Amino acid sequence: MSSPPSAEPPLPALRGDQAVADLAGWHRLHPLTPVVRAGTRMLSLIVLLAGIAVLKQGQDSSQLITDLVILGLALAGGFVSWLVTRWQVAGGVLRIETGLIRRDSRRFPLTQIQAIDVVQTGVARVLGLAELQLRVAGSDSARGGRLACLRLADAERLRRELLAISVPQPAAPAAGQPELRAGPGAADVPERRLFRVRPARLAAAIVLSRAGAVAAIVIAVVAVVVAVTGSTVAIASFFPVALGLVLTVWRQYSSEHGTAVAAGPDGLRLRSGLIQVTAETIRPGRVQGIRLVEPLIWRAFGWCRLEVDVAGPKQRRENRSEGQRLRALIPVGSRSEAEAMIAELISSQPAARSRPPRRVRLKAPLLYHFLAWGGDERYVVAARGRICRKTTWIPLEKVQSFRWVQGPVQRRLGLASVLLDIAGRRVHADIEDRPAAEASQLLARLPAQARTARARFG
Amino acid sequence: MSVTQKGLLVGQPELAWQHPSPRLLRARRIQTALVAGPVALVGGICGATASAAVGGGVAAAVLVAGLAAERFLARRVAAWGFAERDEDLMVRRGVLVRRLSVIPYGRMQFIDVTAGPIERSLGLATLRMHTAAAASDARIPGLDQPMAAKLRDQLAVLGQAQAAGL
Repeated sequence: MSSPPSAEPPLPALRGDQAVADLAGWHRLHPLTPVVRAGTRMLSLIVLLAGIAVLKQGQDSSQLITDLVILGLALAGGFVSWLVTRWQVAGGVLRIETGLIRRDSRRFPLTQIQAIDVVQTGVARVLGLAELQLRVAGSDSARGGRLACLRLADAERLRRELLAISVPQPAAPAAGQPELRAGPGAADVPERRLFRVRPARLAAAIVLSRAGAVAAIVIAVVAVVVAVTGSTVAIASFFPVALGLVLTVWRQYSSEHGTAVAAGPDGLRLRSGLIQVTAETIRPGRVQGIRLVEPLIWRAFGWCRLEVDVAGPKQRRENRSEGQRLRALIPVGSRSEAEAMIAELISSQPAARSRPPRRVRLKAPLLYHFLAWGGDERYVVAARGRICRKTTWIPLEKVQSFRWVQGPVQRRLGLASVLLDIAGRRVHADIEDRPAAEASQLLARLPAQARTARARFG
Repeated sequence: MSVTQKGLLVGQPELAWQHPSPRLLRARRIQTALVAGPVALVGGICGATASAAVGGGVAAAVLVAGLAAERFLARRVAAWGFAERDEDLMVRRGVLVRRLSVIPYGRMQFIDVTAGPIERSLGLATLRMHTAAAASDARIPGLDQPMAAKLRDQLAVLGQAQAAGL
């Protein structure tokens, strides 16, 4: 396996009608991969080159030639990297080998895969290609794998087949879930459409969110400055800020545009994106937590946002700057849409009805307003936040550890908090400011309850 | 003093709390001295550029602050405790902000034993338990090194026996 692939018979590109058995051989990625990899960078370079060429009117072409040489070198490098990259699925393990000088061979045991996404960047979409992203448990994104690029149909098919292999045997009895078996039949199972975001509402919601508020402040400041100084030169100094704002808003809109959720045989299928289209499947039992977010202004319209936390690192490039953001199943939707989706995700929906005692007002006058928790034998729900109300549901079988915390003020007031930690650092449910006796009881009861839940559902 | 005495875990059998080695207090004192000493020295020299009185005052103030901190060390060290239950480990700590963590054995992903230079010279080690959650933060400082190794092996075996997926 350490010998270069060029020494072997030519590797077939994946054909559309191959069965799982054929995956055992070595495959190459799609020949247009280098073009996609160079991707947006090349596109902007071409635009830049064209602009320079038009401006210079051919008076100094040596610069242009250097740029073209650099572009050619980049493409050649990409081509070599494509040539030495190959992948194989054998014995329940996906292997990706790459590298010309330093061979890099990575193995992904399919049973450990949390999710497989099909991602299409802008360039890939034009060429009809797609990228497979594998997510494994843990927060280290370097541990995830990428297969870029394959033809879109092949990527979708391969994703289905890998998922079929990755489902642990006892969990997929042939009679109980025949759809999970790979093959042509898997594509025929109809999806049940659950939600589709309305573009106009999404745009309005983003304008009315924090980015919109910041923009309004910036515009107000500019207006005041212009009114006071009477010169329009001041506007120029706000240009970078405005550009940053526009980019933020645009990035959010383009990544959430067209978000559609459908219930498929293997879980919830989430599809979103304007330019880069991402398709991912959220498998039942992989959901670590659900969060319902209701910002101040949205509440007036009855809008909310529903996010899920799935084990595994976030890899979507477009969202990297929004590290704290979770996957939004509903970027903006009505309360009833969110409730229907929550019912789809978790088997029972306890409401956060248990309010803290009134003396909490002394400790947390603002937080007190929405602070509440609730729970049943499987889920715990906690609500908090004043400006932005956040309600979090957590399945007890996913809880990693429990913490009881009592600060000095809480001790005075006879209060204590119980915090539930789940994998990652993005979601946590805090049962805050309960009477001390209740908190003690919770700490004694919840670990045992979680154990039972783990045995039953984990 | 201990959280259990204040009615935590009412109706539960009283837990057998174990505590770090008494030498942890000495380790903490050395650490405090190592911070306060040089800070007092540097502060004193800087102050002395203005006048000798200011320099002396700054140095004295830092030393007094160090001594005051020392008074709280004993309580903080005494607050550390852990209890092994059938299915999980409990760790408590803190005086001002009291914390008590419950970590199910099945959730432990790996266990570290570390020892800094001061701890090492006193034959102590810190045991750290890692779960998939970033916030878990369960550690027990100042264990005797043989005790730390024993506990680590014990927890690893328990973790393996009760391991649960994500």
